[in-house]
Amino acid sequence: MSREAYQVPSMGGQNAFSNDAGYSNSMAIDTPSVVYLCGECSARVALKRGDQIRCKDCGHRVLYKERTKRMVQFEAR
Amino acid sequence: MAPLVPSQGELQRRRLIGINAETVTNIPSTDFPGHWPGESHGWALDKFKNDFKVDYHRNDPYEASFSLIGLDAAVANAFRRILMAEIPTLAIETVYVHNNTSVIQDEVLAQRLGLIPLKGSVEGINWMHWEQKSTGDEASAAPELTDFNTVVMHLVVECTKNPDAAEDETDARKLFHNAHVYAKHLTFEPVGRQEQYFVGEGAIRPVNPDILIAKMRPGQQIEMELHCVKGIGADHAKFSPVATASYRLLPDIHIQRPIIGNDAKKFAKCFPKGVIGLEPVTSQEASQAGSGYEGHAGEMKAVVKDAFNDTVSRECLRHEEFQGKVKLGRVRDHFIFNIESSGQFESDTLFLEAVKVLKLKCARWKRGLDDLMA
Amino acid sequence: MPGSVHSQDPQDQSMVDVEQPQEELVLDERRILVLPGSSDTAASFQFEGEGHTMGNALRYAIMKNPAVEFCGYTIPHPSDAKMHLRIQTTDSTTALDALKKGFQDLMDLCDVVTEKFTVARDQFNEENSSKMQS
Repeated sequence: MSREAYQVPSMGGQNAFSNDAGYSNSMAIDTPSVVYLCGECSARVALKRGDQIRCKDCGHRVLYKERTKRMVQFEAR
Repeated sequence: MAPLVPSQGELQRRRLIGINAETVTNIPSTDFPGHWPGESHGWALDKFKNDFKVDYHRNDPYEASFSLIGLDAAVANAFRRILMAEIPTLAIETVYVHNNTSVIQDEVLAQRLGLIPLKGSVEGINWMHWEQKSTGDEASAAPELTDFNTVVMHLVVECTKNPDAAEDETDARKLFHNAHVYAKHLTFEPVGRQEQYFVGEGAIRPVNPDILIAKMRPGQQIEMELHCVKGIGADHAKFSPVATASYRLLPDIHIQRPIIGNDAKKFAKCFPKGVIGLEPVTSQEASQAGSGYEGHAGEMKAVVKDAFNDTVSRECLRHEEFQGKVKLGRVRDHFIFNIESSGQFESDTLFLEAVKVLKLKCARWKRGLDDLMA
Repeated sequence: MPGSVHSQDPQDQSMVDVEQPQEELVLDERRILVLPGSSDTAASFQFEGEGHTMGNALRYAIMKNPAVEFCGYTIPHPSDAKMHLRIQTTDSTTALDALKKGFQDLMDLCDVVTEKFTVARDQFNEENSSKMQS
């Protein structure tokens, strides 16, 4: 199986990666882009599936995921 | 038979707790019926009204000092304990973290936020309701959030580079915007009837705007919603309305035999400044046989100027030359209170509030007793 | 313990205007218990949710009653929020009445303290403000 044919296994809709923007398993051009942070220059890099994993500013190849936007509750004690 | 009435001297003696180099004497109160044969020590409201006295020493908004004279330690201690643990105040209780990319962890940040003292319209804070926290029962759902039990605040800060900063700047606070997150970054939004109470000067805000909450670097941000509720110090120290609430007993220094000359100077040095004064021995004292001052006219003698400020360090009891010449003590029923408010209420109101809480507790238990009998 | 709150559960966001309940009535009658083995003039009471604050002050107030032979309090275990109060009286009264009188005397005491404190404070404030003006 080639790299491009790889599909993210669907986890019954609970997939943390799937946004509510109707994610389809097809290889459409407008796949949702995910923002990463460059490990070198901290630039925000939006990557689509199949994009080369590389910072667009400095060319660094280590990218980090952003912190989850899910709200977390704590007791202040 | 009419009850015996002890002499003033005897009463004064009973009021003193003796302090020796290594021991204390005459510790427990004895003003109870049956303790002294023939004397009546039953509770008498008019007698208490007559004897009880309040002396004010200092009354700043956040620090008050006063003496309560004629009280038993049990009651004074109840007031102190209530001040620290049973007066409801407002503090951050729940933190909803939407984003936090700073280096300080969510739970640590939440804990820090909880400890920030808040202030606002006292009328409004009194209007708000305090609900006893449900204990453990999972079934008892969290109370409904309403305008009279929850105050909502937000903390939304993002650190960015400061383009106007000098080339060789090394101070992060100038190099970046919002490198330091302070308590003043907390924003308050009134909900419902809170708009009537917490407006203008009465808005909920931190007591001190310069409390450092977190440090950040460009690209990091904090976005959270904070829910403040009322609670009591017994539940968590963040709800305690006072920084300290303490009392001490009035010190008593009694010079039993004359301390004269160089000894007097040394004696004065055993105490804080102003406690012991030096006065010349008068010719009258010197001429009095058996006074101990014979032939010392004009020399300096030690006198007690102001025992109030003594720390009762007992330093004077360590020196050979003062053996048997001085008696240290504390006055059993003279409580010097010191109340330092953390800022939500003024110190004097806090004490009145404590008295009110004690009375309310009594009233409630008494009502409970009536139900018990019914 | 922190837990993640899912987006479909917006309870933390909603702030509802609810009529403010009248005077709180959290008092549960069962919070005072008379321990077994009591008679009219000698009884032990158990107070739930009380500690030294109330215990010692109440002990003092009750001991001030000439009809009381003995009064003492204890907190049997520091992890239980319970306070035990023992009262033994002469035949002229009952333990329960002595307890009630103790509460009443404490309340009267509080009134006197409030009154005298307010007077002393107001006087102090007045003197100080006039001192500053002169």
